[in-house]
Amino acid sequence: MSEPAVAVTGLTKVFPVPLQRRSIVAVRDLNLRVDAGQVYGLLGPNGSGKSTTLKIILGLVSPTRGKTEIFGHDSSRVASRESVGFLPESPYFYKYLTAAETLRFYGKLCGMRGERLSARIDELLELVRLTEARNRRLRGFSKGMLQRIGLAQALAHEPQLVILDEPTAGVDPAGSREIRDLILDLKQRGITVLLSSHLLEQVQEVCDRVGILANGVLVREGTMTELLAVQNQTEVVLEGARPELLTQIAALATNAGARVIDQRTPQTTLEQLFLEATERSGDASR
Amino acid sequence: MMRAVLVALAVLLLGAARLPLEHQVFACRRQLHLHAPDLDLGLREQIGQLAFVAALGGFRSLVADALFIQAHVAWERTEWSRVLLLFRQVTTLQPRGLLFWDMAAWHMAWNASSAAINDSAQPRLALRVKAQRKYFDLGKDFLERGIANNPDKPQLYEAMGRLYRDKYRDHARAAEFFDKTAEKRGAPSYARRFAAYELSYCVGREREAYQRLHELYSAGERERLPTLITRLKFVEEKLNIPIDQRIPESKG
Amino acid sequence: MKDSAHRALSFGRISALTANTLTELTRLKVFYVLLLFALLLIGSSAFMARLSFQQEFQVLKDISLGAMSIFTSLLAIVATARMLPQDLEDRTIYTILAKPVARFEYLVGKLAGVLLLLLISTLLMALLFAAVLFAREYAALAEVTRQMSSAPSEQLHDAVQAVRNATFNPDLLPGISIIYLKACLLASLTLFISTFATTNIFTIVVTVFVYFIGHIQGTAREFWLQQNGGTALSRIFLGVVALVFPDLQLFDFADDVVAGASIPFTLFANAAGLGCFYTVLYLLLSTAVFSGREL
Ligand SMILES: Nc1ncnc2c1ncn2[C@@H]1O[C@H](COP(=O)(O)OP(=O)(O)O)[C@@H](O)[C@H]1O
Ligand SMILES: [Mg+2]
Repeated sequence: MSEPAVAVTGLTKVFPVPLQRRSIVAVRDLNLRVDAGQVYGLLGPNGSGKSTTLKIILGLVSPTRGKTEIFGHDSSRVASRESVGFLPESPYFYKYLTAAETLRFYGKLCGMRGERLSARIDELLELVRLTEARNRRLRGFSKGMLQRIGLAQALAHEPQLVILDEPTAGVDPAGSREIRDLILDLKQRGITVLLSSHLLEQVQEVCDRVGILANGVLVREGTMTELLAVQNQTEVVLEGARPELLTQIAALATNAGARVIDQRTPQTTLEQLFLEATERSGDASR
Repeated sequence: MMRAVLVALAVLLLGAARLPLEHQVFACRRQLHLHAPDLDLGLREQIGQLAFVAALGGFRSLVADALFIQAHVAWERTEWSRVLLLFRQVTTLQPRGLLFWDMAAWHMAWNASSAAINDSAQPRLALRVKAQRKYFDLGKDFLERGIANNPDKPQLYEAMGRLYRDKYRDHARAAEFFDKTAEKRGAPSYARRFAAYELSYCVGREREAYQRLHELYSAGERERLPTLITRLKFVEEKLNIPIDQRIPESKG
Repeated sequence: MKDSAHRALSFGRISALTANTLTELTRLKVFYVLLLFALLLIGSSAFMARLSFQQEFQVLKDISLGAMSIFTSLLAIVATARMLPQDLEDRTIYTILAKPVARFEYLVGKLAGVLLLLLISTLLMALLFAAVLFAREYAALAEVTRQMSSAPSEQLHDAVQAVRNATFNPDLLPGISIIYLKACLLASLTLFISTFATTNIFTIVVTVFVYFIGHIQGTAREFWLQQNGGTALSRIFLGVVALVFPDLQLFDFADDVVAGASIPFTLFANAAGLGCFYTVLYLLLSTAVFSGREL
């Protein structure tokens, strides 16, 4: 498909500050293109304009200038939302509904009903691993469970594009792991994902392409390899190497016109450690 | 900003568009005496702030009922001026309440007036009669205003007929009001009879009374009540109707 | 794409929103209001023991219809005022409007939920009212029959008829319908105000203000239409009141029905038409404001 999943051209959003003469420029002249099938990460510190951009793409906020399109449909048109699912930042749902009722409600909003809707609800609960909690009210749900039900409702009508605003914010590492796995699963199935985050390592793991926003301006953009590859360097990881071997390698390198610039013991990440430890204690499913 | 201006404009324009209809409904209500009374500052001072606000907010019947019950209590305590004041407020708030007008007039012309004539605190008969008369007039005044507000209902005309008959002993006016009662929809069947009885007491109108009574008598057994027969015999006597044309003597 | 398949106005979407709103309101236990209504009716009967049956029935009907009017109006305002702010505050509105749901559909669905709640409440109150009235009529009839057991049958018939006439009156039905329509109007008005309000206290205060101005709008309007006298300033003021505020007094004929006035059909139809007109008008105005609102 040549048509981009999301196209943002010349987008500017100015928020007037009530009772004051100044105003806030949340997004400034932004151009963005997310191709179908990609996982795109929008990065930036808090207040850099990520949520605002996503809301404009979804037609929840109107742009001051410029335009946004979803699969070629202008965001201001309701029809553009037929093919997109959205998980807002720390979502809340109707607390008096159960997990299944919540999904039924959103499914109906997407025009689904009957057998097909019921089957889809089972499928979604299975997908986000909430089958056990299907008849529990959302009132008693943890943050991670709310995030997952939010993801399920975003996927209700099998959209071609999923927009996730800070999907892992405020969720514990194991929950965050699950959400990343789900995103990778979506990617596998060819669904385009546009997500925002301020947690860089997590983005690094799932995204094909990232854009970095600062004060509403897109400062860097490109594929992961383009952005992170350090040219002319190679990493070699050895196991059981004695100090003599290392000296020999350094000599070899010098002979060949190269240079060893760093030598250290690799460390596991804290996340890895956390996940292994909690998994061993059998607490991974919380 | 633009949108706010447009919405404000729409409010004004649509407001102007519906104005004629609202005015028409209002006029129709006024014609049917269904319009709310003009609540004025005088009333506000009498019934108090809260009740006035409630009355303004579309709950005037509730306020009227509350005052009506107060009036009932005042009557039980024979506080006549309070009964009068409260009934004025009640009827102002709910001028469609036939019951209120009727009760107000009854309390004045029957209860308060007999209290006045039997007032042991007032030794002079002339003054007691004057006070009694004043209460008759107050009763009549309630009924007149009640009729003006409810011209199509028989009840208050009938009450007025009774007032003229029993209190003023003005048989001509009483007959007139019983006749008016009979013309209204839903009037009781005795209204016509009552009018004819009253006529029979009016000196000089015996011929008219005779015709009316005889007509009723001829209408059938249902109308031939003891009073009708007595009054008919009375005018027959007065008019010297030939014996053979008179109604037969009742047996027993 | 699916573009061609998208329906601008979908019954399925609206009914999902309506059902959800109704569920939400029932979970809020608004039906306790009905319990209060029942207590009021039963409690007031005891206190009217010393009145004659005509008086008693008049007071009972006034209290019932007055309470119905207060409760439905309050329910309409309170239930509607918190609806939008709640969804905005909880950000549930993002998840709903990110679906292919038009803002108009969202508002229609929400309002329909409130109107349905009001309908159910009105019907339940009317049923309760009819039951109490029926019980009182039964008691009054028994009393009359006992007292007049020796009177001629014609007189007994008249007395029984008098009790019947004092209790049920066919005009009560249009009276109750208009109470419902007035509540609908108020709900729609509250929705409109909540689309630009920042807090729900503001919404409630403004709606109550409009409610009271609405009851004197008629006086202001007639004064303004008469075109006579008054300073320019007061004329402008009256004109603004006449144009901006609805005439709520036109919906207050339940009182007169109880008092014994009969309502001609055209008057009822006109009032009902105005009630529907305002409900739709405020819904459209709500949409106009809400469509431009940043979420
Ligand atoms: N509705 C709004 N009104 C006024 N200012 C806003 C509004 N929404 C966001 N902003 C401002 O726009 C800027 C960007 O916000 P946001 O898009 O939420 O950032 P991020 O999601 O990257 O943390 C912030 O300075 C924020 O204060
Ligand atoms: Mg954000």
